Amino acid sequence: MTSRKHPRRAVAALAALTAAGLAACSGGGEPLTPDDAEALADEKVTIQVAMDEGLEPDAVEAFEARADEFMAANPNITVEAQEYTWTGTTFAADLAGGTLPDVFTVPFTDGRGLIERQQIADISGLIAELPYAGSFNETVAAAGQSADGAQWAVPIAAYGQGIHYNRALFEEAGLDPDVPPATWDEVREAARTISEETGETGFAMMTSSNTGGWILTTLVYALGGRGEEVSEGGDAPVVTATIDTPEYRQALEYLRAMRWEDDSMGDNFLHDWATSHADFGAGKIGMFVSGGGDYGNLVTQNAMNPDDYGVTVLPLEGDDAAVLGGGTLAAVSAKATPAEQAAAVRWIDFYFMGKLTTQEGAVADAEALAAQDQPVGAPVLPVFDKATYDRTQEWIAGRINVPLEQFAPYTAAIYDQPLAPEPPSATQDLYATLDPVVQAVLTDEDADVATLLGDAEKQVQTLIDRS
Amino acid sequence: MTGRTRTTPKAPDPADRGIVSDADLRRPGIRYGLRAVHGLLLAALLVTGLGPVLWLAKAAVTPTQDTLRTPLAVFPHGIDLANLAEAWTRFDIDLHFVNTLWLALGSWAVQLLVAVTGGYVLSVLRPWYARILNWLVLSTLFVPAVVLLVPLYLTVLDVPGLHVSLVNTFWAVWLPAGANAFNVLLVTRFFDGLPREVFEAARVDGAGPFRLGWSIVLPMSRPVLGVVSVLAFVTAWKDFLWPLLVLRDQAVQPLSVRLPALQDYVELEVLLAALAVSTVIPVLIFLLFQRLFLDGAGISGAVKG
Amino acid sequence: MASTLAAGPVRSGTSAPGRPRPPAPRGRAASLRRRGGLSTLVIALPLLLCFGLFSWFPIVRAVVMSVQFTNLVAPPEFVGPDNFTYVLADPLLPVAVRNTLWFAVLALVFGYPLPLAAAVAMSEVRRLPGMFAALAYLPVVVPPVVAVLLWKTFYGASGTGVFNTIAGWFGAGPFPWLQDPAWAMPSLVLEATWAAAGGTVIIYLAALKGVAPELYDAAEVDGAGIWRKIWHVTLPQLRGVLFVTLILQVIGTSQVFTEPYLFTGGGPANSTTTILLMIYNYAFGGRGDYGAATALSLLLAVVLAILSAIYFRLTRRWSTT
Repeated sequence: MTSRKHPRRAVAALAALTAAGLAACSGGGEPLTPDDAEALADEKVTIQVAMDEGLEPDAVEAFEARADEFMAANPNITVEAQEYTWTGTTFAADLAGGTLPDVFTVPFTDGRGLIERQQIADISGLIAELPYAGSFNETVAAAGQSADGAQWAVPIAAYGQGIHYNRALFEEAGLDPDVPPATWDEVREAARTISEETGETGFAMMTSSNTGGWILTTLVYALGGRGEEVSEGGDAPVVTATIDTPEYRQALEYLRAMRWEDDSMGDNFLHDWATSHADFGAGKIGMFVSGGGDYGNLVTQNAMNPDDYGVTVLPLEGDDAAVLGGGTLAAVSAKATPAEQAAAVRWIDFYFMGKLTTQEGAVADAEALAAQDQPVGAPVLPVFDKATYDRTQEWIAGRINVPLEQFAPYTAAIYDQPLAPEPPSATQDLYATLDPVVQAVLTDEDADVATLLGDAEKQVQTLIDRS
Repeated sequence: MTGRTRTTPKAPDPADRGIVSDADLRRPGIRYGLRAVHGLLLAALLVTGLGPVLWLAKAAVTPTQDTLRTPLAVFPHGIDLANLAEAWTRFDIDLHFVNTLWLALGSWAVQLLVAVTGGYVLSVLRPWYARILNWLVLSTLFVPAVVLLVPLYLTVLDVPGLHVSLVNTFWAVWLPAGANAFNVLLVTRFFDGLPREVFEAARVDGAGPFRLGWSIVLPMSRPVLGVVSVLAFVTAWKDFLWPLLVLRDQAVQPLSVRLPALQDYVELEVLLAALAVSTVIPVLIFLLFQRLFLDGAGISGAVKG
Repeated sequence: MASTLAAGPVRSGTSAPGRPRPPAPRGRAASLRRRGGLSTLVIALPLLLCFGLFSWFPIVRAVVMSVQFTNLVAPPEFVGPDNFTYVLADPLLPVAVRNTLWFAVLALVFGYPLPLAAAVAMSEVRRLPGMFAALAYLPVVVPPVVAVLLWKTFYGASGTGVFNTIAGWFGAGPFPWLQDPAWAMPSLVLEATWAAAGGTVIIYLAALKGVAPELYDAAEVDGAGIWRKIWHVTLPQLRGVLFVTLILQVIGTSQVFTEPYLFTGGGPANSTTTILLMIYNYAFGGRGDYGAATALSLLLAVVLAILSAIYFRLTRRWSTT
């Protein structure tokens, strides 16, 4: 049976004291081979797998239905759900404390570092055997690969940034929700109209827990800038922070104008991922920039009304403008025993990849979700290629329950937009350093953008060099 | 400061006078002035002390939109009791409350054990190494908790000699709580004040250290145990950063760690209901054991602030 | 009060001077037992284990780690003073120091005179003094995390936030509370003061009860009125406890974490990043830089140890006079 961890209660947790001890089993040893896994296939094993934090009860049911299905097919494996959502400010503690579930997810930005430091299990031997191992989109696959090209972590989702907007607020403000803004000037104009007509936040900006830097850098990409430049040096590539640039200044200037000239950005300038999605889900935000695949979270974690949801692509302006894209990797804890690793890969294959790669998996996943009124078929970016993705959508065509037409502004354009990966080195550090810069611009009318960016560039460079 | 300490307020006693004398009180200006001051004070205390708690109680059963739009109106659109039920199930308040209680009780027990046995050894038994031990214990008073944050965390991850990780077990909170030099100091000082003749007499009668401790010293130490208990319990109850670090599994988390983790995923009204429920219990405990808390706070005064 | 904790080292002589020693053979046995032995060691065991594992060992480890680079995976590497130079060169450090001091100063401004005035007034309450004390102490009982989350709602920056609604009654606001670098820290301190002031009031109340009535009698003989009694008798008599709470407050506020972590995460624009938050971020906030974290902890510890030493010296002096 799946048990969310609570029913085990305190006493069981005490008993865990004795068991918890034997840490680090695989660490830096040889990767598990498929033969090893075969030999372990009948061993009784229990794995903890990540389940999104704070899910609505129905979403938990849907998750558990999938887990039960998995356990029926793999009688030797017991799956326990553990609430987990990657957060920049707590992940390191979980990693150090060995308290991550056996299967957990991290953003693309963290893959390289975790692999280099061997902080996740080397399951490359098992991944290589998966039928679809060779067909990942190349840039997507790279996020989960070690320097020598071994696939340690599985890319399970990719996103390209988009602008989420609230159709109800658009209508209330007299804007046409089917024709969302297509230039940054139109975005600004729409934000002002929304905030004037409805009193809600026209355009919200995330600023905390590294998200400020993330979204600012997204705007910079869309204006043709980049956060870092990589040049070939002597024996290793040299990474240079490129933050004190016209594009960063332009992006901050844009935010400054919306905040202080239009006053269309509401009154919370400490949003992080969770609060921005919560407020958007609650209908308090007209538009905000985030990953294009966030619809699921908005509905399952923030109880958003699907009728109000709209999404469109970022306007790309300037030379070399691109959509900042990233994604999610599924990884296995370095503490997992070989048997747990083998079971973990099966779970990843079943839960994350099955719905993308097999008709059976796609249909089963869609049915479990639909049975609990959870969203099915929300458009995302392909981790393989567009054709594979389209085929998946066809498999579940009859079961799609999300309002696809409301995604049209996004889906019509995103697959043709140039996608650029996030800054490669010390990415989260770069984002974290830019958080206070964004906050300064939004909370201090006289913030000195040039100085802020100059200082931030120096700091980021130090962190790049130290990592 | 003076050596006189009378921490327990007693019934008025002619010698127990304060700033204002009876003669002062006979002057109407002073009498009414004092009344006015007290009236203002009471009003201020009601607004600041009780006000926020009452607002929380109101908001706990008010629909979110009312709380957001007219936060100070009293039930403009009726009450919504469903919040409380949802808070209870979404937050598993019973589980986390029991965890909180366990954490406090365990920390209390460990602190009491260490302080009493330690104080007994340092003050009564006084082995040859007592002086150095005493110095070692007292010196940790000068090391603020923050220095230990990281190394203590790493120690809990891999306890030296045992090679177990205490993370996600209550022991990770209980055991470090025991290493509290201040408690040891309090108990040692208290034992120092006990008449040594009684111990000597018991020894002469052939009582070993265990008997001496159990049947002579322990029964005499009730007052100091009360103080240490209140301090230990309150500190454990309020702890946030340490449980946040070492209790990552929600099944063992106390309310203080769980509430912030869920704040973004539930509606405001449900969050406030959860906060209200989490407040009711300690407030009830406080009202029941008021005297103990207030005395404890007075004594801890010079200690922790 | 302070005399309870006056930290005189425990006299470790055998027996008080002047007391007749028991007859020789028994005395030998008694003093042997007193000077050690297995059972004493067994009784000392809880203390030895707890302090050994969770206090002395981590302290030593902190010193060792501060000169190492470690990420918990690769074996630690000796780096000499690198961590210290890195931390001292971190542009955030002066900001965090300034914020922490600012927090301490504000905490004194908000949390020092008001509880004192309230305690002096309350000490004269003759009817239901218990109710006054209970009301003052009530916020202290509210769990700190609950208090912060509750006040986060109070601090809503829109015109319909709780405090802004109240400000609106007086034609003021709306104020940004947590959403402005200049406002955020005072807002944090206001909540922290609300949460802690009750405890301070109770401490002062206890100290006020310790003022000898004869002093007031004597002052009255000299014809002193109420204000002069407060100024010339009460306050001087409270001098000791006032100083103690002052130092404790500084030590306490320099380790503030819960409020900035939960209210603002150190923002906006680092205006509420405290030293402890910085330590937390080094170690657990993504970088896993345990060396830098312990180095900064040690630097802070040296400052705090000096303050603690002053505190102990003073409490000892006051308790013996």
